[in-house]
Amino acid sequence: MTSRHGMSFFFYPRTMILDRTIAPPFRVIDRISLPPAETLTLDNGLPLHVINIGDQPVVRLECMFEAGNWSEAKPGAAHFAIKMLTEGTAARSSAEISEAFDRVGAFTEMKNTFDQAGVVVYCLARFLPEVLPIVHELLTEATFPRKEWDDLRNITLQNHRVNWEKNAYRATALFREKLYGLEHPYGRGRTEESISAMAREDALTHYQSNIQSSRYRIILSGKVGRDEIATVNAFLGKDAARADAEEPTAASFPILPGEKTTIVERSESIQSSIRLGKRLFTRHHPDYYQMLVVSEILGGYFGSRLMKNIREEKGLTYGISSNAYAFREDGYFVVSTDVKKEFTQQTLDEIRKEIAILQTIPVPKEELRTVKNFLAGEFAGSLNTAFDVADRQKILITDGLPADFYDRYIRQIHATTAEDIMQIAQKHLVLDDMTEVVVGGK
Amino acid sequence: MIHYEQFTLDNGLKVLVHEDFSTPMAAVNIVYNVGSRDEDEQRTGFAHLFEHLMFGGSKHIPVYDEPVQSVGGENNAFTSPDITNYYLTLPAENVETAFWLESDRMLSLSFDPNVLEVQRKVVIEEFKQRYLNQPYGDLWLKLRPLAYTTHPYRWATIGKDIEHIERATLDDVKDFFFKYYRPNNAVLVVAGAVTVAQVRQLADKWFAPIPAGEPYVRNVPQEPTQTTPRKLETSAAVPLNSLIKTYHIPARYGTDFHEADLISDILGRGKSSRLYQALLKNIPLFNSITASVIPSLDPGLLIIKGNLNPGVTMEAADEAIENLLQDFVENGTTAEELEKVKNQAEASLAFSQVELLNRAMNLAYAANAGNAEWVNEDEEKIRVIQPDDIQRVARQVLRPENCSTLYYHALVNEQ
Repeated sequence: MTSRHGMSFFFYPRTMILDRTIAPPFRVIDRISLPPAETLTLDNGLPLHVINIGDQPVVRLECMFEAGNWSEAKPGAAHFAIKMLTEGTAARSSAEISEAFDRVGAFTEMKNTFDQAGVVVYCLARFLPEVLPIVHELLTEATFPRKEWDDLRNITLQNHRVNWEKNAYRATALFREKLYGLEHPYGRGRTEESISAMAREDALTHYQSNIQSSRYRIILSGKVGRDEIATVNAFLGKDAARADAEEPTAASFPILPGEKTTIVERSESIQSSIRLGKRLFTRHHPDYYQMLVVSEILGGYFGSRLMKNIREEKGLTYGISSNAYAFREDGYFVVSTDVKKEFTQQTLDEIRKEIAILQTIPVPKEELRTVKNFLAGEFAGSLNTAFDVADRQKILITDGLPADFYDRYIRQIHATTAEDIMQIAQKHLVLDDMTEVVVGGK
Repeated sequence: MIHYEQFTLDNGLKVLVHEDFSTPMAAVNIVYNVGSRDEDEQRTGFAHLFEHLMFGGSKHIPVYDEPVQSVGGENNAFTSPDITNYYLTLPAENVETAFWLESDRMLSLSFDPNVLEVQRKVVIEEFKQRYLNQPYGDLWLKLRPLAYTTHPYRWATIGKDIEHIERATLDDVKDFFFKYYRPNNAVLVVAGAVTVAQVRQLADKWFAPIPAGEPYVRNVPQEPTQTTPRKLETSAAVPLNSLIKTYHIPARYGTDFHEADLISDILGRGKSSRLYQALLKNIPLFNSITASVIPSLDPGLLIIKGNLNPGVTMEAADEAIENLLQDFVENGTTAEELEKVKNQAEASLAFSQVELLNRAMNLAYAANAGNAEWVNEDEEKIRVIQPDDIQRVARQVLRPENCSTLYYHALVNEQ
């Protein structure tokens, strides 16, 4: 048999015997730099971070405020405040705002997180001049109309009821509550009571104090040229008062952990959702990178120990994972899975057993190498688009991290030894300190 | 616009290359031309079970995942009614690893009985997690057999009965593999920091030696035109009553598909859509309401789905939707409304091509359907649609006798 393509025949004559048992040679990724953001200052002093990458004629505009749960005076106010921005302004009704964005095919995301809140718009770059005046209106002239307020609260309540029926959702909410307590922004989830108790004025107050005339950051990513930057400056660089606005004072909250084990019996459930973990630290902690390697070995990728043990060997679950989450003020480690109810205890035991093995037996060389290469490749692959890069840059800004934080990432991962893994697991994954939540039953 | 080059190996494998040196990565995507529509009615769920088995080791390579991970790659797969799709992304320098792994499992699986036993269990757990243990999780299990009477789209990809998965034998697995998993029934797309010459060379080295199989000739019973409205009521412990209406629409690459897609956008995409404004905002019958299409290679569905506010009857909500649709069919759309949904469609298309992997998948999907170039034709097809076209297709699609309606009642929950 001959190939139709002479070139390839030249490189691989058919007489050469192909040994399929031998893996092709490969290179390990040992260096990746995060593409930089260009930081500009608008006429009114607000910072604009630009990430210009990609061929598709699209952009993402993100306005980030110190207006997340951390900044709210009343639990839940941050969520409602940001969601109400698109529900009415001095000039436009809720329907007109939707219509104005939809007309140019733009989609919006009113985003509330533990630490920050933001207005995000995705659109074709050519429609920025249509989109920006509406964004400016949302930020400065939102009116929180009463009817829309009632609708939003009702919809939030109904959605919450649907979500609360999902074991996984409820388990995560309870797990955070047990880690941080109800006084802490990371611990108090949404409840029927908190939604019902929310008054329009609470959300409005949050808007007025944290968004309407506050300082914020703009991140513009995608195919961004001089025209796009000028357009942003023309619309968002004009209200002068903001740049001088005071940064909100840093609040602090007591952490009041709950009981170590929680079980919610739900007779109608076939499966249990399990959360097992403990508090960790922020990205500033010296053990942060090494902890990522530990979590990765345990349950961070498809070939992880937990996946092999619980899914591939025992078939108890469709998926199991461990994560080391970091936020601005704190972080936590958690193993999450949904398993057949009758295997709940067995799964919990196996998770603890796997953690104990990490603490006592050095990770074999081959496995450690795989995990490191995987983490490095995953990181390289996670910087594929302008939006990916913008998300990383945002973390640097939000968490106040050094510019080379991600450039050090791969070096630090590769530097982690089997001895480090054991030490980190012993130090940060003390089994007696684990908080365990089961929703479903045993 | 996705640029590409294509060639076909002697064994029938179609290969497409999309060069993009703005990234250090490569995406490798293989579509096998088999989905749940190709299944025997007595052995449903098999295409999807098979997707799981493809990770259980191949003829010369005991495990699939580890070599991918050790070169810094990630991989996954999905099964739909039409196709089974496998994909990896990895540093482009290591792209040969993907050729090595994918060609070996196309050559032959290991057919290890233990792999079948474990994956059978995993799939059964997936069934429970996704379809039984979620509010409204069994929705599609109810809806498909209502909307389709004849076409295999009437069962879900996971299968219509979990027993079919429990009964699967190793012989079934082998038959399935050698029938569908042949190079002449597959499309390979390589995208990213790779050259066409490099891909030709690697494809020749790794895939060309795989023997072709018997050509697979699809013989799937087509759905007859629906002539009477259908209705089903069901109930479960869910928080809210839910109302779902489906309408048959043209196939993904058939005439009038984009018109049907834009109709669904006009009706129920986003907060400015007709259903949202009329039946959630103006008269608060619904707590959520959307319309969308389920694209498929044989004729698909337009689906309207809403959760009712407490106190609203199914009948009242249903009637309100019917009235709105009738008004739309009679009076059609406006130039501004059409311009809006076209802009939305253009934006969706542009954003769907931002990710390298998506570009590779889109190319593979079109090439498998019949012509890679279709991937670049959607934009123009959408652009030329006029208000009259919308009304013509709305008349065909939104007929009451083309509709299947599901009332999904919320039982009072004991918790």
